[in-house]
Amino acid sequence: MSESFVNADLGGEASDWLALLKPRVLTLVVFTGAIGLVIAPVRINPVLALTAILCIAVAAGAAGAINMWYDRDIDAVMNRTRGRPIPAGRIAAPGALGFGIVLACFSVLVMAMATNLLAAFVLAVSIAFYVFIYTMWLKRRTPQNIVIGGAAGAFPAVIGWTAATGSLAVLPVLLFLIVLVWTPPHFWSLALYASGDYERAGVPMLPVVKGARHTRWCIMIYTLLLVPLTLAPWALGLLGPIYGMTALVLGIGFLVCVWRVLFDSQDARGVSLTKDAPARAAFKYSILYLFVLFGACAVDRLV
Amino acid sequence: MADPMPRNELRENPWTPEERAEFSRRRRGRNFLLLGVLGGLCLLIYAIALVKLHEYGQMW
Repeated sequence: MSESFVNADLGGEASDWLALLKPRVLTLVVFTGAIGLVIAPVRINPVLALTAILCIAVAAGAAGAINMWYDRDIDAVMNRTRGRPIPAGRIAAPGALGFGIVLACFSVLVMAMATNLLAAFVLAVSIAFYVFIYTMWLKRRTPQNIVIGGAAGAFPAVIGWTAATGSLAVLPVLLFLIVLVWTPPHFWSLALYASGDYERAGVPMLPVVKGARHTRWCIMIYTLLLVPLTLAPWALGLLGPIYGMTALVLGIGFLVCVWRVLFDSQDARGVSLTKDAPARAAFKYSILYLFVLFGACAVDRLV
Repeated sequence: MADPMPRNELRENPWTPEERAEFSRRRRGRNFLLLGVLGGLCLLIYAIALVKLHEYGQMW
């Protein structure tokens, strides 16, 4: 983008419209959705499977675009988000909203046409949950915003499964719960070193409201909940030892990361003296953790 | 004769020639993206229709 032209009147670049879809977040969403399809006991036509994944990606992108429209005021004051197309003035806010709504409708309709009504319904619920429950209701009101809001990111595996089978089962519900419980330690690790940004924007993230020390303990508690939960599919006989061993090893690794976060060098107020190096490492590890864990689900099913 | 589709953004804005060229460049990029999306959508609907017809045994 030419830096001299940041006027919404000129219209955004094509890449700005793509940026509204939060492409980096989409990677994980597409991956978990694809895993839901792969581990389902029913095989569907590859064209329909790819269409289902496309719909999941577009729906997540649409929800992201509507989120950027709604959060444009706080995005403008946060370092991490002020370069986004709306606060940077490259795309007008109403255009972004319309873009998000059209894509959301398109994704749900095509999902219904290509797969089944249940998958389309769950997809619509996931969009509505992210937009109305997380973005508009929880995010600015409670430090528990991502504990409940994390459900929005947990839907793709369920959608993938329902797209293939047309029904629900214990395994996709467990995968949903795993992502739900994984989200708080993932996001709070980020929030620990970006708390200044959230404070400036007035977003009541846990480190802003309760402080860094309390947040570190919460990260540990949720990780302690997460590890046995990831072992449940193995314990219940829904997945085999490849998944079980992977979950165990990954879980131990996550606990080590979180242990370092908990006992990071800090001053009397709990502020990190290491520039939150352990929290940054835990955030990166949490992304790798979910990728490998879900990858192990697929490998276990296919081997 | 009046332009049937007056493009006010090109005629009324006090843009410099560089801004006008930038506007045209961006619009071209957006139009190509839209073309790609619409073309992809047509192919997708066509492929879904073929698969569905095949699944229900109405074509082969």
